[in-house]
Formats: sequence, C-alpha cells, structure tokens
Amino acid sequence: MAYFIAKRLVQSVFVMLAVAFLAFSLFRFVGDPVTQMTGVETSVADQERLREELGLNDPFALQFARFTGDMLQGDFGFSYRTRQPVAEMIATRIPATLELGIVALLISLFVGIPAGVYTALRPRGITTQTILMATLVGVSIPTFVIGIMLIFFFGVQLGWLPTFGRGGTVNVGGWETSFLTIDGWRALILPAITLGVYQLTLTMRLVRAEMMEVMQSDYIRFATARGVPMRRLYFKHALSNTMVPVITIIGLQFGGVIAFSIVTESVFQWPGMGLLFLESIRFVDIPVMGVYLVVIAFFFVLVNLIVDLLYVAIDPRLRIRDVS
Amino acid sequence: MSYKFGKSVLLGGAVSFVALSAQAEPFNWASTTDPQTMDPHAVSSAPVLSFLNNVYEGLVRRGQDMSIEPSLATSWELLEGEDGWRFNLREGVTFHDGAAFTAEDVLFSYQRASDEASDVRSWFAPVTEVRVVDDFTIDFLTNAPNPLFPSSIANFMILDSDWATSNDAALPARDAENHATLNVNGTGPFTVASRDPGVRTVLVPNKSWWEDATHNVTEATFTPIGNAATGLAALLSGEIDFIQPIPLQDVEQVESRDGFKVLEGEETRVIMFGFAHENDTLLYSTDVTDANPFQDPRVRLAAAHAIDLASIDRVLFRGKIEGASQLVPAGISGFSEANADRPDYDPDRARALLVEAGYPDGFSFGLKCTNDRYINDEALCRAAASMFAAVGLDAQLSTGPVRDYWPQLRADDFDMYLLGWSPGTFDMEHPIRFLMHSQDDAKKLGSWNFGNYSNARVDELLPLVQQEVDPAARQAMIDEIVAITQEEVAYVPLYTQPLIWAAKDNIDLTQRADNFFMLRWVTVN
Repeated sequence: MAYFIAKRLVQSVFVMLAVAFLAFSLFRFVGDPVTQMTGVETSVADQERLREELGLNDPFALQFARFTGDMLQGDFGFSYRTRQPVAEMIATRIPATLELGIVALLISLFVGIPAGVYTALRPRGITTQTILMATLVGVSIPTFVIGIMLIFFFGVQLGWLPTFGRGGTVNVGGWETSFLTIDGWRALILPAITLGVYQLTLTMRLVRAEMMEVMQSDYIRFATARGVPMRRLYFKHALSNTMVPVITIIGLQFGGVIAFSIVTESVFQWPGMGLLFLESIRFVDIPVMGVYLVVIAFFFVLVNLIVDLLYVAIDPRLRIRDVS
Repeated sequence: MSYKFGKSVLLGGAVSFVALSAQAEPFNWASTTDPQTMDPHAVSSAPVLSFLNNVYEGLVRRGQDMSIEPSLATSWELLEGEDGWRFNLREGVTFHDGAAFTAEDVLFSYQRASDEASDVRSWFAPVTEVRVVDDFTIDFLTNAPNPLFPSSIANFMILDSDWATSNDAALPARDAENHATLNVNGTGPFTVASRDPGVRTVLVPNKSWWEDATHNVTEATFTPIGNAATGLAALLSGEIDFIQPIPLQDVEQVESRDGFKVLEGEETRVIMFGFAHENDTLLYSTDVTDANPFQDPRVRLAAAHAIDLASIDRVLFRGKIEGASQLVPAGISGFSEANADRPDYDPDRARALLVEAGYPDGFSFGLKCTNDRYINDEALCRAAASMFAAVGLDAQLSTGPVRDYWPQLRADDFDMYLLGWSPGTFDMEHPIRFLMHSQDDAKKLGSWNFGNYSNARVDELLPLVQQEVDPAARQAMIDEIVAITQEEVAYVPLYTQPLIWAAKDNIDLTQRADNFFMLRWVTVN
C-alpha cells in the first residue's frame, strides 16, 4: 500500500511538470505583463528595462527552466500584480476554495444520493418526475445564471443571505474558516448551492441508473424472496453495490469542482483560488497563473489517489486481490 | 419626490453640523479593481492613486472641481533667477505614526519616486535638482521654465523618510514585496487598519490629521468586486453603501428602486480613433495592398464624417455622452475654445471625399478595438464599422482584451484603432506630449502616438507650450496645435466617456472627474 501511494506521488511530479510546461507555452499568448504593471506615462525605455529585469526577453526554455528550478527549491516567486510572494497568496486562498468545494460536495451527496435512490425505487411517481424535471433545468442553466438568480432572490429581494464574500471567518492556526461563525455559514450557503447543483444532478442520475440496474440483479431478487427487510435490502445490499462507479465519478468531479470553481467564485466575489486566478489572467500575472495551475494539477492527482484508496475501502474484492 | 429632495437638502444643511459627531457611521464601498499595492510610487495606475490619495498626501492636491489647492505645501511660487518652483511646507503636520513632517521627507520621497524602481518617475523628468532650503521650504529646480509643474505632481505622495528607511522600503518594490507594499504611513485623512489584498481593506480616520475633517466616517471598508452583477446586487441588498462604476445598462434598475441614487458625470477620458499614419501599406486590406489611403487627410476626414455620433449616443449610451472635438473635454485647462466644433455626421460628404482621394468604391482595412477597457468599447466599434461601411469604408473589425492590445499597437499592427485618453495632468499639454508629438523614445515623447502622427510645427510648439508662463500666449500656441491636428485629422475624437457611480440615498459624496473617490468628502446621513 505504501509503495502504491509513493508511486502515485512520484507520478504526480511528472504530471505537474507537464502541466507547467503546457501552461508556460501558453503564457506568451496571454498578453504583455509589463504594460499591465506600469502606468500610461511610463516610458518605453523603462518598460523595456523592467521586461529585461523580469527575464521576459529570455528564451522560452530558459524561462521554463528557471520557473521549475525555483519551484523545486520551494521558491514560488513574486506576483507581478501585487508583488506578494505567490506561495503566500495561494496558501491564503486555499481554505476558501476547499471549504466551498467540500460543502458543495456534501450538499450534492446528501441531496443527490437519497434523491437518486428514491427516484430509482419509484420511477413512475409524480415526485420522481418533478425531481427529474427540476434537475434537468438545474443542469441546463449555466452556473453563472444560477448564481445571479440566487443572489437576486435570496440576497436582494428577500435580504436573507449576503450577496458576496465570505462573511465572518475565524483564523484557526493559519486556516481562515467559515465553519465557526453564523455569518460564515450564511455566506457559504448560496455559493455552495451554486457550485453543487451540477454535481448534485450528476450524482442523483448516476445513483438512480445504477440502483435501477442493481435492483434487477439476481441477488436482489433472491434476497427479496428470502424476505430480507426492504429497508436493509435497499440501503445495505443495493446501495453499497451502486457506490463504486458513483465514487469514481464524484471523486473525479470533485477535482473539477475545486479546480473550476472560478465561475462561482467570481459571481460571489468568493476570495478563493479561482478568483485569484481570474484576477491574475486579467493582469497577466504569470507567476501566479503558473503556480496555480501546478497546484491544481497536484490536487487532481491527490483526488485520484484518494478515490483509488476509497475503492479498496468500499469493495472488499479489491482488498482480497491486494492480499493475494 | 422633488419636494422631499428639497426638504432633505434644507434639513441636511441645517442639521449636518450638529449631527456630525453624534451620527458617525461605518461606510462600505466597492470598485471593480483592487489597488495592486499600498506603495504610492510602485504602480502608477488609477486604482492605486485613487485609493492612496485617502492615505497619503502630496504637496498640492485637487479639489472637488479638480482645481489645484494647497495640501502639504501651503503656498508655492516661481523661483527667481533660475527655473523651478519653491514650495512652502505646512508646519505641525505629523505622519500616522506620529513622526513630524519636514522638507527632508519631501526630498526623500522625491528621490524614491524618481528612482528607476519607481513607476511615477516620468513626473520628475523635468526636475534637475531638489534643494532643501530649511525644514519647511523646498525648491524643485527644472531644466526649463515649467509653469505646469505644481499641477503635474498632485498625485506625488509623500511618505516618512525614517519609516521607509528603517523598514527596508527606501525604494519602491518592483518585482518583490517590501514593507510599503502592505503597510502605510502617510499624513492623509485615513490610515489602513487592515489589508487583505484582493479581499478587503479597512481604513480608519487619522485622528491627528492637520485639517478639520468634514466627513463622518468611523470606519471605511473597501471590497473589490470584479463582477458587475455581483456589485449591483451588493448595493441593492444594502451590504455596500457605494459602488464605482456601474454599467450603463444597470442605471435604470438602480434609479427605479427607493433608497438608491445614480451619480452621473463626464469623465475626462476622450474616446477616439487613431490611424496608422506611418505604415506605407494597409495591413488588413483585401483590395488596396500597395498603399495606405489613411495617409491622405481627406480619407481620414471621410472617416470622421461617417460617424453618426447621435445614434451611438442614443442606442449605446442612453444619451449620456458628450461629443468631443479635441483630445480633452471642455473645461480642462488648455481646451481650445476656438476649435470646439467636431465634424458633422455627413455620409455624402464622406463619400465625396473618398472619390476626391481616388477611392470611389472605398476600400477595406483592419480596425482594432478593445473589448474590456472602455465602456461599451466593442459595441461602439461594431456600430462604427457599420457606419464606415455605409460610405464604402469596409472595416474588418478585430477586438480583444486590453492585456493583449497595447503590444499589438506598439508593434504597429493595425490600420485604424480605438483609444481612450485621460489627461493625467488635466491639461491639454498631456495629450499633445503623448499622442500628437512624433514618437521620440530618447526624449520620451509621443510614447502613445501609436500611428506616429508627425507634424514638424506641432513638435516645435510642444516645448514652447510647456515653458510658456503667460496663459494667453500659451493658449494661442495650443489653439494652433489643435487647429493643425483637426485640419489634418490626426485623430477622430468621438466623445467623452460618461462616469456612472451608484450609492444609497443617505450617502453624500463628491464625484470627481478623474474617477477618484475621496473618503474625506463622504457624509453618511
């Protein structure tokens, strides 16, 4: 097991290198950082001097080697836009994005799985049809529009929830958390729903499809014939057998939720990594963009690893194979 | 409605002084961009300068009507016997940390701001030497008579020399942070209580400010909100008190709700089209590939006559723009009253001019525009392209984000382009220096004259304008320059960009034409 984990972590280094390379080869098309860093009255000569100082005139290979070399030594560089250390900027934004992603995931699981089971067991009920219709609408509307609609209804019309930002956060050992204050939770609800809607729909439909298939299988018929209580039958025997593919998809989706919470973060001015990335694109802040993409790549590798480990925990057959 | 308004103004006038100290309030505001740094010399961008003017102060400052008034200098006069200015400094001023303000701080700030690491050093290009005369007198010597110098340094902010040196911030940080990137120590009406870049910056009043505060803000929180719809929602839900700017299309929604108001004004930014004067051929033409018709002033004039500004105003700007005849709007010093007419919308004349110039069937060319820099910039260019097409000028429009735009213009990669220009010194000399004088990297002139419009007489007049002390003689020279550039259609100035802010009804504030927001003029009722 330890060998397996170590192997995956070594692989992740290569993934990150590949991402850094791709990102770096694209940066030259993003725009000119120097015109974004200087005012209109800065002379052309001064701009050129700055460009030289930042090493932007160096060949691509040299710039890339310098970037990866510095990263390997733990030096993530400084932002062109705010002049802060990039490592610090990203580190302070990680809690916001992770908390948002986790709450969105939990919403999608706690609503999506029961809804999936219900709609599978009562495929022709009116409630089922309503749920299916609603989720179809939910998945067809772009995240941006869902966010704005929620903001205008709950934030502006009803005035129940804040429209932007994280509200009250508490610093616990360097981690800014929203979980410990009422204001923090209130600010979290709308963005988490917005981010979770797509995931929720996906989870529900997946659970429903898997569940309907499992319910047709022989062992369920047999268990039914044996008189296993329905509750135990549905949730113990049927549901746990639907979970392997569901976990794969949800796990992979979670990586996406974290990585691409950009839209939700921008709509709610949620100070996470996605918002930081968006601002960095606008200012052609190459160091921040580079590190962000590498961090996200690492995150994807990590999520995949966790998904693989969860397989083993859920499916006993994999454990037996591992032992043999 | 009007009755209510009148009453509240009367009452407000009578009660405000009594209420000031009793009804002090926290104040929340938002804008689209976070100031990149708290260092007043590191980045010369509007978000930084606007924000820091609440914290730091210069020798002079701009009043509500943009006029220059005393700040850390109480008076200034031309030096006798040599070129330059003497500034008499205000006594008894202290920085936020309690240190006394003296001429040494001004000298230090000058050295810091004119260093290679500073982004505001162009302000000090004419300065040859700065001499401390005594603790409260300082002389700025210039290489030639420079009547405009005091008004050109309104955003030159003074910081404390001891504080900067002892915190390793003697120079502005260019590619790494230093103490001054996140911390402040100015003399201004507010100081930074906490800063979380990109998220929130909290300002509190400076209790020992040298001037009597007229605001009643106890704590001001700034949040950058990049998304316009989110910003509007934040205002309408009451979470913020004021936002700058709001998009034109949201004006009606704000006005239709009780308790909110829209503040409209004219910015000083003039939107214009420029030409590739220097290119000998068109780059993006499908029919004329061996010449550049825009080198003919008649063709440029035809382009000017093709624009139906009234329709653009009605359809795209809801009647909120003012036509521009020259590169600064009326009211800016140096504005040429003698040349205040702009070319009419006259498609027949445009077509006739094209025939005269030898292009009876018109021609195609490339038009470059931004899509995220100016209000409705992309829509404007689409409208303009169809107006050009109506007279036979077939514009191949390409639009893109501004981060990609300046490099293209610098590389002369255009036939015609869109540009907005706000005169940083609020004087006509500014656009002449940057947009009308021929490109001259050594003298740092014409650096935004992308098409390299060049006229020997304009080049000859610019230094004379810069040095002329007599206002009438100076204006005569400016009038001549404006007449020449209009005659030759160096640019097609279109209109002055509107400035639209929104606030709650109970907020009194001043909208200054440079889009700077000064907390010291805020009253929360």
